Amino acid sequence: MTSRRTKGLRRRAGLALALLAVLASAGADVGIELSAEELDRIASHGPWPLPWSADPGNRVSGNAAAIFLGHGLFFDEALSANGKVACATCHNPARGFQDSRNVAKGLAPGTRNTPGLFNVRHQRWFGWDGAHDNLWSSSLRPILDPGEMGGSAARSARRLKASPALHCHYRAAFGKPAMADDPELLVNLAKGIAAWQETLVSPPAPFDRFRDALARKDASTAAEYPPAARRGLRLFLGRGQCATCHAGPMFSNGEFGDIGIPFFVKPGGVDPGRQGGIKRVQSNPYNLLGAFNDDVTRENATGTRHLRPEHRNFGEFKVPSLRNLRLTAPYMHNGSIASLHDVVRHYSELNEDRLHSDGERILKPLGLTAAESKDLVAFLESLSPTEPISVAVKPMPIRDCLPATRNSRIPAAGR
Amino acid sequence: MTSVAARPAQKSRRWRHAEILFWLLALASPGALAGCPAGTDDGILIRQGELTLAWRPLLAADRPAPSNRIPMAKHFVLDVQLCDKDGISAAQLIKADASMPAHRHGMNYKPVIKPQGNARFRVEGMMFHMAGQWRLAFEVQSGKETLRLNHDVQAD
Ligand code: HEC
Ligand code: HEC
Repeated sequence: MTSRRTKGLRRRAGLALALLAVLASAGADVGIELSAEELDRIASHGPWPLPWSADPGNRVSGNAAAIFLGHGLFFDEALSANGKVACATCHNPARGFQDSRNVAKGLAPGTRNTPGLFNVRHQRWFGWDGAHDNLWSSSLRPILDPGEMGGSAARSARRLKASPALHCHYRAAFGKPAMADDPELLVNLAKGIAAWQETLVSPPAPFDRFRDALARKDASTAAEYPPAARRGLRLFLGRGQCATCHAGPMFSNGEFGDIGIPFFVKPGGVDPGRQGGIKRVQSNPYNLLGAFNDDVTRENATGTRHLRPEHRNFGEFKVPSLRNLRLTAPYMHNGSIASLHDVVRHYSELNEDRLHSDGERILKPLGLTAAESKDLVAFLESLSPTEPISVAVKPMPIRDCLPATRNSRIPAAGR
Repeated sequence: MTSVAARPAQKSRRWRHAEILFWLLALASPGALAGCPAGTDDGILIRQGELTLAWRPLLAADRPAPSNRIPMAKHFVLDVQLCDKDGISAAQLIKADASMPAHRHGMNYKPVIKPQGNARFRVEGMMFHMAGQWRLAFEVQSGKETLRLNHDVQAD
């Protein structure tokens, strides 16, 4: 047993070394001196896109009827109290599912910036404070929130019944009609909307093509990556220490941090960030420890079960993914930074007094030169796809809900 | 359970059953800790006096990972075995936690220790949410003595 395992280990170590050698020589071929360690770290930000897997907490994840239903509801203003606010009002597909406002505005002005929704399937926590531990409860909140859509179960049931296509897909996905007094109704709608949002995946960006080219030692493709972005990438991985938090293929570790963005909210309030988020997720009946989680093993609830409130959580916000930022300005939890240049300036001139005394010890004012700042921006821009992303594609209705099929089933006496 | 006198005999029989099961499991799954005495195949060994603490990380579905490279920002379980010179130790693992000395912060999650019998413990809910050096800190109760054992590991 021992020798077999040692051999296995040795073989794996050998493979890793071979891979490093390939990467290192790819770096040399391209004419940039990337160290083996840098190549290793570049490789850790891919491949992209990540493999899709169904959400174990959502039994209609990947279900075609639910995806059709979810798409319909996402764009449906009739779910809101004034009939004018849909999810898409704030999460605009043309802008990476963002609204370009500093803070969102639904029925009333909000206090936080609308996050984009591409790749949302790969988040662990939802909302800037992570007040939700799953995509469907995060999709249920805005329907009921009096400041966003101000909807209700009764309104949603009425809406579904008024649309034969949506109601048919609801029945197909959940095996029962939509009833206002069904305690599951809103959760089911939210699971449908979640199923659709899980299909929102952004295509590879120039960075991904560079990363993959290095991995397969393809010097000519790697050479297409602009030199400014390359230099910016080195800053990102090295002196900037950005990848400590903005890690992995999503460019986020999925956790929370404090980078000194003010947490004051007009008038005279504060946004407690993660501190409030932990309280809210723990008291939410739709969390993964609750009855609506479809994963009977509750293995997907590990994070929620082991939450650990700390002083430092006050003023911490979720580390956002850095993909598709060209589409989603302005930036930060309160939308207070207008451009990527300004974000880079924030990190370059960081005011350490604004960081919590017991907070991270990673961030230092970087004191970047003008040229370095431009490089870092060029790198951040290379994390957005260059072609427009087509997302307006409507999912296909399922066969049982096609109007023709339904009409042909209706007896002649029907309309 | 029954009379006091019956207990030792029962205990040793139970122990033997447990031991057989333990070895069967250990042989069946190459990733499992192999009991006492712990060898270097049993993950990382930390020694203090007569106590040896062997640990290894288990990823999703209890898949073992190399102990010196723990994947960043993923939940994992610590599989811990306590041994002393007589074999399976009578000591108890009472605390397990981790912090990043360079950043002066701990984990975002609170681990929970689940005793498995035979001085074997599962520490659930671990996560190293940043790449870099982490310090594992164990506390072991051995009679009246509390032993503190640390070990530095790399997350990436
Ligand atoms: C009034 C604007 C507005 C509307 C309408 C709205 N949202 Fe949002 N959405 C936001 C804001 C702002 C946040 C951040 C909330 C927070 O941090 O607490 C957010 C967060 C989210 C998130 C979490 C994303 C992440 O990465 O953390 C999801 C998912 C989401 N919304 C889906 C929806 C769905 C589905 C609907 C419709 C049912 C909807 N939203 C309606 C503004 C809106
Ligand atoms: C300590 C962890 C940490 C480090 C290190 C870090 N960031 Fe961030 N980053 C965050 C957090 C947390 C936010 C959100 C803060 C908020 O909204 O209050 C953020 C926000 C951003 C945003 C805005 C994204 C959006 O969608 O709003 C950009 C861009 C960004 N960071 C780039 C960088 C760059 C470039 C570096 C290196 C110079 C860096 N970050 C280093 C944690 C970090």
